[in-house]
Amino acid sequence: MTRLTSLAAGAALAALGAGSFGSAASAATICFAFQDLETEFWVAGHQAITTTLTEAGHTVIERNANEDANRQLEQVRDCIAQGVDGIILIPQDGESATTIVAEAQDSDVPIAVFNRPPSDLSRGIVVVADNATIASQAVDHIVAKALEAAPTDATLNALIVVGDLGDPNAVGRKDGFYAAIDKHADRFNVIEVASQWDAATALANLEAAVTATPDIDLLFTSSDFLFPTIRSVFEPRGMWKKSGDEGHVWMAGLDGDATACQLIKDGYVDATGVQDLYFEAEQSMSAILAAIEAGETQPNQVIEDPGFALTSDNLAEREMDMWGCVLLAAGFLNK
Amino acid sequence: MTETRPAGAIPRPDPSAAATGASRLGRRARSLLLSDYFVLWLSLAYFLALLPFLPTLGTPANLANLLSNMWPLLVVAIGQTFVLTIAGIDLSQGSVAGLTSVVGAMLLATAAPAQVLSNAPIWGVVLTEAGGPLAGVAWGTALGVAAMVALAALIGLANGAAVAVLRMPAFMVTLVTMIAVGAFAIWLTQSNNIRELPEDFVALGKGTLVSVYFGERAEPQIPRRQLHDFVTWPMLIALGVAVLAHVALNRTVFGRWVFAVGVNRTAAEISGVPVRRVIVAVFVISAVCAAIGSVLYTARLETGRPTLGGGNFLLDVIGATVIGGTSLFGGKAKILWTFFGVLFFVLLSNTLNLMNLSAFHIDMVKGGVILAAALLDVARTRMSRGAAP
Repeated sequence: MTRLTSLAAGAALAALGAGSFGSAASAATICFAFQDLETEFWVAGHQAITTTLTEAGHTVIERNANEDANRQLEQVRDCIAQGVDGIILIPQDGESATTIVAEAQDSDVPIAVFNRPPSDLSRGIVVVADNATIASQAVDHIVAKALEAAPTDATLNALIVVGDLGDPNAVGRKDGFYAAIDKHADRFNVIEVASQWDAATALANLEAAVTATPDIDLLFTSSDFLFPTIRSVFEPRGMWKKSGDEGHVWMAGLDGDATACQLIKDGYVDATGVQDLYFEAEQSMSAILAAIEAGETQPNQVIEDPGFALTSDNLAEREMDMWGCVLLAAGFLNK
Repeated sequence: MTETRPAGAIPRPDPSAAATGASRLGRRARSLLLSDYFVLWLSLAYFLALLPFLPTLGTPANLANLLSNMWPLLVVAIGQTFVLTIAGIDLSQGSVAGLTSVVGAMLLATAAPAQVLSNAPIWGVVLTEAGGPLAGVAWGTALGVAAMVALAALIGLANGAAVAVLRMPAFMVTLVTMIAVGAFAIWLTQSNNIRELPEDFVALGKGTLVSVYFGERAEPQIPRRQLHDFVTWPMLIALGVAVLAHVALNRTVFGRWVFAVGVNRTAAEISGVPVRRVIVAVFVISAVCAAIGSVLYTARLETGRPTLGGGNFLLDVIGATVIGGTSLFGGKAKILWTFFGVLFFVLLSNTLNLMNLSAFHIDMVKGGVILAAALLDVARTRMSRGAAP
């Protein structure tokens, strides 16, 4: 078992209790179909789910679609043909999720969608964070800080790095950003930068945006995994400064990964919206296992992760509520 | 002349007989390798060899999956077969599939969310919250599919003209098309997908005409999971395209011209073959096949996707075609070979999935198999030249 596996599984099991997922006596075969393992969030979620299920005596069939929606559909069909008892899905996007959920339910196989919700929430077990609320909490924090630091009549430049809008999570995060900004609409000029959830795309678009508008006051990235990309654009331009230093750009993200935790501690980032990874993993697993146990083939349920915002102000009290800080404390970034 | 042997004498092995046996075995191996059905036998042998270890492989549900995965890939691979036959390559098939997927969906969608698509350049021009211009129109699906095919034909025409008239390398032309058309597709929707496609369009990718059920009918309602798709619309469309392509390539003068260009372009020109027109037509066929494949993929995913045809799509298309036996050097191809190549390729993917290998290992194995097929192509070409009178 790798260090990360032990780490994630340990954290998950500690949070959930090892007995929550049944024993080998009621062992089930679960197909875990995921789109890729590109970010810390997905890696940690993948490890928490696979390790917890395996250690509880269940068989996990893993399928990595490598970011190909058609391949994921074929893989899920293969799983159904193999006679799996249930499916946990991390889809490529909301649209393909809807198709795959329907495919599984038409074949009488219960399916749970982890974190990235289908565009149609009415079918399947859907575990999803309240992205809009979490994002607005994080952005509220940096908006307040930015306004406090600026002259009262100044108009500030706020930049949002938008995710792939085919993903409802990205839509929710964008909505949350605007909900916070619109409270002070007269004080902000907004610049949107598309990332398509791709670091290379984000890099190219952010460089162009910062070249056109060098005086950015506030930045919100729709995912923490883009902070290294933002740093690579800001640092050569002298914009990567700690809070309190002249020229600091107020920054917030969303996910709650280990990198964001470190950057908040270092003072470069001011807030991040936190999805409770282990809560979501637990809910996905327990809901699918409960459906299998009850013989329910088409369970429909939306389970919401309320989340919260970790900020420079509440870091001391809430640090260990964030999954990324738990991983950071265990040495994740020193691997 | 016959040889006599004294009674009771111990027969000695005849070296010439052994040599004859070895040579017969060699001839059989050669004939098997050069057979039109080589990849089919290979697929059957592979299937039977793995069946004891992967019992799911032979289940009706898995066989139905295999077939379902074959049809869209077969259509696209048929187009690639034509291009490889003239010793070319079409790298733009994936991006043509992506663009036509978006265009078809934006014309046919019955609704669209402003929240997701309002930033797209097509919003308000072609697509609105009420859907696309062909939503609810009589024969709308047919018109949408025709638009997809026509757009693809135009792209194929541009590719073919650049290769035939400007004498640019097909690799470079189609690489540029792949990048430009792919980017255009993403720009049209700002990378977003278009859902809410009409049911008759979705049926083209998922519609079943005949389902089968194995076992006694114990319940009045057979569970959907136990019904297996057998004859589907994608199957009929793909087989229809295959038959047309087979006739065009192997039973017409045009087909002979295609082979002539692939074997030796200069000789074909001297012989009076309209080489330029043939090359243009071949690239049009390739793009049209990509568009028909796109119809099947878009319908089965129920979504117009600008990224359709990205990732390893080309690896699958070219790999399946080459595994079938179509020569990378041109002048040697059969649609039947492509059919068998796609069958083997889909079977390979399916078995690697059933072995629970990771996506990375699966791609490594696929790459290795394609390399082996390319090496086999070289060997077969040498053998067939050696066997020629």
